[in-house]
Amino acid sequence: MSSITFLCSKSAHNSNNNNNKSSSDVPKSAFAAASAGLLTIATHQQQQQQQLQQQHHQQSKVKATAAKTNGHIDDRSDATEPLYVDPYADQGSGLPGELNCCPASPTTVPAKASLESPLKRSGRRQRTTSIGNQTTTANPSECIIRANNRTIYTAGRPPWYNCAGQQVEPFVIGICGGSASGKTTVAEKIIESLDVPWVTLLSMDCFYKILNEKQHEQALINEYNFDHPDAFDIELLLDVLTKLKEGRKVEVPVYNFVTHGRESQTKTMYGANVIIFEGILTFHSPEVLKLLDMKIFVDTDPDIRLARRLKRDISQRGRDLKGVLKQYLNMVKPSYCNYIAPTMAHADIIVPRGGENKVAIHLIVQHVHTQLQLRGFKLRETLANSYKDQPMPHSLHLLHPTPQIKGLHTFIRCRNTSRDEFIFYSKRLIRLVIEYALSLFPFKKTTVETPQGVLYEGKRMESRKICGVSILRAGETMEQAVCDVCKDIRIGKILIQTNLKTGEPELYYLRLPKDIKDYKVILMDATVATGAAAMMAIRVLLDHDVPEDNIILASLLMAEIGVHSIAYAFPKVKIVTSALDPEINSKFYVIPGIGNFGDRYFGTEPSDEY
Amino acid sequence: MCTGSPSSNGSEEGSSASDQQPQQEVQEAEQPSTRTTHAVVPAATSEEILAEYGSNLKLLECNSQVAELLTILRDKNTTRSDFKFYADRLIRLVIEESLNQLPYTHCDVETPTGAIYEGLKYRSGNCGVSIIRSGEAMEQGLRDCCRSIRIGKILVESDANTHEARVVYARFPDDIGSRQVLLMYPIMSTGNTVLQAVNVLREHGVPESCIILSNLFCTPMAARTVVNAFPKLKILTSELHPVAPNHFGQKYFGTD
Repeated sequence: MSSITFLCSKSAHNSNNNNNKSSSDVPKSAFAAASAGLLTIATHQQQQQQQLQQQHHQQSKVKATAAKTNGHIDDRSDATEPLYVDPYADQGSGLPGELNCCPASPTTVPAKASLESPLKRSGRRQRTTSIGNQTTTANPSECIIRANNRTIYTAGRPPWYNCAGQQVEPFVIGICGGSASGKTTVAEKIIESLDVPWVTLLSMDCFYKILNEKQHEQALINEYNFDHPDAFDIELLLDVLTKLKEGRKVEVPVYNFVTHGRESQTKTMYGANVIIFEGILTFHSPEVLKLLDMKIFVDTDPDIRLARRLKRDISQRGRDLKGVLKQYLNMVKPSYCNYIAPTMAHADIIVPRGGENKVAIHLIVQHVHTQLQLRGFKLRETLANSYKDQPMPHSLHLLHPTPQIKGLHTFIRCRNTSRDEFIFYSKRLIRLVIEYALSLFPFKKTTVETPQGVLYEGKRMESRKICGVSILRAGETMEQAVCDVCKDIRIGKILIQTNLKTGEPELYYLRLPKDIKDYKVILMDATVATGAAAMMAIRVLLDHDVPEDNIILASLLMAEIGVHSIAYAFPKVKIVTSALDPEINSKFYVIPGIGNFGDRYFGTEPSDEY
Repeated sequence: MCTGSPSSNGSEEGSSASDQQPQQEVQEAEQPSTRTTHAVVPAATSEEILAEYGSNLKLLECNSQVAELLTILRDKNTTRSDFKFYADRLIRLVIEESLNQLPYTHCDVETPTGAIYEGLKYRSGNCGVSIIRSGEAMEQGLRDCCRSIRIGKILVESDANTHEARVVYARFPDDIGSRQVLLMYPIMSTGNTVLQAVNVLREHGVPESCIILSNLFCTPMAARTVVNAFPKLKILTSELHPVAPNHFGQKYFGTD
């Protein structure tokens, strides 16, 4: 379904296409906030960028990005609203709530996936109207223009863990090369041809050290050496890269080239299938080298690099010939010879002439594809076929099958129930599920005084820090019940949809409370069939450092297979449901089931069969 | 108004304390540390209830969550807004569980996937009856579960001197005799009010076995009184405890 992509602009010191409209007319911090997590970066001396160049840049992006469409079939019944455009992207400046936002990935994939026709939906369930005729979002170029400087995904993020719910390491590509050698161009070309959603681009520029006053002055008269290894905070870099490699959420500093300090806001980056790390001294630290799965050195002729640098610095950064040459001769050139060129020995591939070298990029992309395939991200099929005829796991907590619950199920399962009744009875059932889920959190004994003058020994919940996280769309129906039983509860949301082509769940969007790791989490989804989406959501929570035993997965109806898969992958996650159905059909619907819960609840049922 | 006859409190506490004496001693021996200026009075467990009062007195399944609700409602430091919030939650659970006691028939339905679900169907023809005033606190809970259910009302007043309860007002649907009746009354300390209310219902032709009493807090004494008087009446409560939280009505409606 279509296209949300991050339009990325890389800030840069040594890149020739950095231009970000907002960096010139919006205060720095606001800009950083607005883009928290979107790939952006920006901030640099070159604020006076030329409009022309911006336009050129945007146009090239437009070409690169296009809508990818796939319809959706989803056991969890999510899915009508296929597109996500960052709501803040066109506002230009940060909103207060925004810092809590953890966009799915900070980066960008200008996609090729776009190539299928938007109308091709392989004869499966026809989704409702929102696909294809929503001009605002379906038109990629409009998307970009409105979203000013970011936010267009090509597709959601497919699983980044195996059947057991364990992380599969992302593939890390390191790109090294002298200043103005075309590293960024190579990175972008790779991202473009890779056609893999969820690529994170990390630039070494983010890790410049904070300059003190004296160094700051030196920098102003071109005497501070930005090309020396000491200019970088290698420890921080190592920490960030290690975490990214483990698939965890990281806060990447945003470096301000005017103040030569770090912005108070950081950019949130989040695990990816492929991580591209580029910079002039990428191969300098042996520890960083160990983290790289593939090392690329972009080797461009020094004359060309100098020419590019002169052109860029003079025309874009308003500096004079003398200053640029002085910096080049005194620092850039010696650093290249001393620190950068020797690291070429570590490279797996040396790419001459940078981004224009199509053959080299093609080879690299092929290799990455092979590697990704070896890692294997085929989940749903595997999940659907394992664990037959095993006893139900201990982590499953089934509501007592009282006549009452069965009666409610009769109402909501009946295909002829009107929507009004469906909503009413499912709400009643949800309330019971949530009340029951709450009872599974740890409680402690306490004694209170009563107005009658006697002491009363009762229980209180150990921690009041509870938050709800719903898996959109069907899980959203359970939010009201959570709010009804817990005062002032925080609610996070995760949008996961099934890719029709691959049948795999894909993560599109998430927004969680900031300190979610300190909370007990009630994860809500109306129905669980294979458990693929729920597993992805749990994985997201774990990646945000929520301890496994702080998670309760609450749902109205689950298939046995789904319960097995989740319990096997995450044995400490408590699973709460009001009914357990024995099987799922070939389209991953629970049998006998409820049908598509979200469609029935929100009234978006397609007319054809299941 | 009448909220479980607070005036009878003194005499009742005396009697229930003597009832619970042996059990209380065991409890204290086990946990001497919890004993401060007042004694901690334990609530009865469901096994004890089944043994003593038979299967028509049912206790809401007491998981930790319910225990917390009870604790908050008992705590004298709970604010009124919290009190109402948590009381409403508990009421909702009790009402849901009371509805669970209604008779039903089997009913198979076809699901949207084309499969058959073996479900069940409740008979129509139920109604609620609340005992004014505190019983009315439970009406909303019932409405939330059954949108268009008919609700009758009974006003029982107890004489300030004799503690004798008498019905001063009753208004029911005409055909109440043919319905299942959910009688709502949150606090039972002596059981006298409920006895009078059930008598009125019987006068209107409702069989004893068709009445389900939804209750939040019940004393052993009241339970004994009601069970002895009406053995076929079904009672659902969330706690059987010798001390009734008689502040419920005042705090819920804010008239203290």
